[in-house]
Amino acid sequence: MNDFLQQWLAARVNAPGTLGAGIRLPDGLCVYQNTDEQFPAEKIGNLLHQLGQAQPQFSETNLAPQWSTWIFEQGKVRCVERPDGWLLAIAVRADTDAAQNLDLLSAEFLALQV
Amino acid sequence: MNDTQKTNQILFVDDDNVFLDTIGELFSAWSHGRWQVYRAQSADQALEILKVQKMDLAVVDANMPVLDGVQFLRLLTRRHPDLKKVMLTGLATEERRSLCLGNGAELFIEKPRSSDGLRSVFVMLDELMTWRPREGFQGMLRKVGLQDVIQMECLGRNSCILEITNQQSSGRIYIEDGSLIHAVVEKLSGEKALQKLLSFTGGSFQLLPFETPPQRTINGPWEFLLMEAARVTDEIAQKKADGVEPVAAETASPTETIANVTVAETLICSGAGEVLYEWQCPDFILRLALLQNITQSAAALAAELPFGNFDRLEIKLGDGRAVLQSRADRLVFVRAENQLASA
Repeated sequence: MNDFLQQWLAARVNAPGTLGAGIRLPDGLCVYQNTDEQFPAEKIGNLLHQLGQAQPQFSETNLAPQWSTWIFEQGKVRCVERPDGWLLAIAVRADTDAAQNLDLLSAEFLALQV
Repeated sequence: MNDTQKTNQILFVDDDNVFLDTIGELFSAWSHGRWQVYRAQSADQALEILKVQKMDLAVVDANMPVLDGVQFLRLLTRRHPDLKKVMLTGLATEERRSLCLGNGAELFIEKPRSSDGLRSVFVMLDELMTWRPREGFQGMLRKVGLQDVIQMECLGRNSCILEITNQQSSGRIYIEDGSLIHAVVEKLSGEKALQKLLSFTGGSFQLLPFETPPQRTINGPWEFLLMEAARVTDEIAQKKADGVEPVAAETASPTETIANVTVAETLICSGAGEVLYEWQCPDFILRLALLQNITQSAAALAAELPFGNFDRLEIKLGDGRAVLQSRADRLVFVRAENQLASA
């Protein structure tokens, strides 16, 4: 599983403008793909942790996100949680190919089958 | 009185009840029914009256107990910026005059002690009532965004026309009582025109006095329209950065999707969490809690990322989407639903 997800991330999360991405499974297993020196695996782990904590807020307020995009001045963070609990987080710089590809990547992640 | 003639609503605020009765009777008589005089003996009475009756002019005694006239003047200026204000005082000093005029008073006059004096005050106030300031101002769209200007006008529930000009074209956005009601630019009108104007990256604008537009072409809440514009502008900028020139239809109507969604709920709060506007929220306390939690989460994320300040959270839902914006001075939640094809 670990290798499969790592390969998927490496193949799919490489567009210019990507800082890094990670997937967290319900059992706590995390895989990371970083493409920018400023964004090491530790930061991706923190990102997954923060987003994982934020997710329950939506269901508590009767919102059921397919995905959410946290938009900052110079970049975006896309968070996608599957019904089986897999959580994808990806950080990209604004106005880049990576930012353009977020919807496609999110849809692929939701459809991903092991 | 001519039925078509406007009756001016005037509020006198003074702790001296005898003075209030005197001017109430005299000024009503001298105006031949053109003045509707309201009287308040304290600031809180005046505020209660202002809650239910829009006034054209407030005449305030500078020396009142509890909340003195100058403090009350500041409060009025903040809460009722369009209300004309006149300060009356029994002891006029230059310092007090500057203080009052500097805090929004149109006139600073001494309390009359004779009938001639009362008549002079009446004439001055009557003149002030008919006087219209030179309305409108000009500015450059550099540091101040057009969206900021619209937001200020809408939050203030103002009525005005925003005339926007850049090198290519010019257009107008009509705001009535804080609602966007019409926009026009080139051959476009309505939401398409609004989107086109909001996609301008520079130019000049002018706030003009409100006039009723030939038709109402916009009905959606302004919060959603502005957020949608921000999203579309981002997309267009991104396409340009990618070297993809937006097609003509896209620039003319950058957000066709706006016609396919309907706003389901809206909540606007101050940065401190005070609810400023709420529409159709099933539970606004729950929404406010979400906004506040998102603010905290965004701050934690910002600390991990080299992306600068947080702007908004966009959520794709099964039947639409939601936008949550968190700024120091405001929290905004808007949820929109996709319209059915047959709708």
